[in-house]
Amino acid sequence: MSTGPFEIGADGVDVERINADIRDTVAAKMKSGAYAGAQLARAERFNLMNLKKDENFFEFYMESLREAVYVDINDFEIRERRAGLAPLLVRFKKTLWSLLKFYTYRLWSQQNQVNGLLLSATEEVDRKYRDKIKTLEERIAKLESRLPPA
Amino acid sequence: MASPHRIAFVSPRFSEGPTIGGAETLLRKLAERLVAAGWQVDFLTTCARNHFTWENEIDPGEKVIAGITVRYFPVDSGRDLGAFIDVQNRISRSVEVSRDEELTWHRNNVNSTALYDYLRAEGHRYEKIVMGPYLFALIYFASQIHPERTLLLPCLHNECFAYLKTIREMFLNVSGWLFNTEPERDLAAQLYGLDLSRSEVVGMGIDGFQADPDHFRRSHGLTAPYIIYSGRREPMKGTPLLLDYLDMFRERTGRDIKLVLTGSGPYDPPTRLAPHIIDLGFVTEQEKHDAMAGAVAFCHPSVNESFSIVILESWLAETPVLVHAAGDVMPSHCRKSNGGLWFRNYPEFEEGLSLLLEYPAVRKAMGKSGQRYVQTEYAWVSVESRLLKALLKVYPGRHQ
Repeated sequence: MSTGPFEIGADGVDVERINADIRDTVAAKMKSGAYAGAQLARAERFNLMNLKKDENFFEFYMESLREAVYVDINDFEIRERRAGLAPLLVRFKKTLWSLLKFYTYRLWSQQNQVNGLLLSATEEVDRKYRDKIKTLEERIAKLESRLPPA
Repeated sequence: MASPHRIAFVSPRFSEGPTIGGAETLLRKLAERLVAAGWQVDFLTTCARNHFTWENEIDPGEKVIAGITVRYFPVDSGRDLGAFIDVQNRISRSVEVSRDEELTWHRNNVNSTALYDYLRAEGHRYEKIVMGPYLFALIYFASQIHPERTLLLPCLHNECFAYLKTIREMFLNVSGWLFNTEPERDLAAQLYGLDLSRSEVVGMGIDGFQADPDHFRRSHGLTAPYIIYSGRREPMKGTPLLLDYLDMFRERTGRDIKLVLTGSGPYDPPTRLAPHIIDLGFVTEQEKHDAMAGAVAFCHPSVNESFSIVILESWLAETPVLVHAAGDVMPSHCRKSNGGLWFRNYPEFEEGLSLLLEYPAVRKAMGKSGQRYVQTEYAWVSVESRLLKALLKVYPGRHQ
């Protein structure tokens, strides 16, 4: 949730500065984990195309994806809202779950494996290209330093 | 007495009644100003109203509207929609397509042979022919008929279609270009290597208005704060992103903030958000302005705007804007006006909107700043002088 870290006077409003403050606040909050989570990654699904140029965004998105990549397949508490039949229905659901558990675990653990592999592959590609770009930039800088001054 | 200047506008639709669209509105407004300045203006367009179906809904023929002679021509039948969609999908995914495939795409887009025939026969009677927006086959083919007197008003966006070979050819083939903003001009120069001495940044004047935010709130029983979006609802305009972001904002911050929508197009909101959307559909200009005036902010999530009339209107209503940072035009308006904030991702959206909610004085100051900007930069008197300069200019292009 947002807090109010800004100190802004209404007179002479400067949107460039306000936006810079917003970015600083977001950076700090992201560091503290305030903007992590699967839901956030989902909210960005329509934004990916818009931010192809934004390196920081990709890092942020990967961070969110890491949090979202594994489907929770742990056991869960079985409840029933209809009070009258609750004990019976809970017992029925538990029996049903015990029969299905094996198959769903198998299915979802495989899905988790696929998700994990895809994420690792994406991270690896990203790392590789970053290294490649870094090497090329260093090489260009070296070559430029050899040029005679204009 | 000298005979009046004669000019034609060409656009796939003419802005009238339920036919809306920024580019169409822009072209009509410019045409009206020229009529007021004593020019003889023809507007060549199709009989279609709906930009999804392109059905011929208006009778072909001639009609005088606000002093403009509007000539309606039927849209060609027999489009191969399958071929059109096939190429369009590949272009949308940034898959390289051949020039022949691009032509297939144009041929199966919106065309009007009757309009082309008219231009072939009568086009030489016009001093200049202003055409736009760029992303229609109608403009692509019409611009080839009298390129020496054609000025393209492209409403260009940085999108995959702008990178097509045939679009580049169209830009390079015409006599000159009228842009809405400097960022749009710079984008065109960068994409096509244009000779900018053949261009003018004209834009559109925005008429001032009185707005009553309380009337809007009362008539819709609105007590909670709201943000507003006006225009077409579609993925290209960023509507799904806005819906997801606002849903997330409500969830994370616990604030009860509504979304007011005006305009057309289907959308599919998250279930939790649906009861908090006030969808007004088509509204009168007055109602739209009242709604804008009462909003915390006008949120424009599109990255494909070449001008954005609605954010300028929002500023005239003294309401700040919150726009996507990835487009060039809207953040540039915000910087120049000090009238709005921009976001790159959800966290920045959340912080920006929270700030606008928490600091009414800042919100008001931004709205005022934006209003001053529109009144100075987009007063009709300034726009009209830029438009006349552009139309009376001798273009030192390849056709002169």
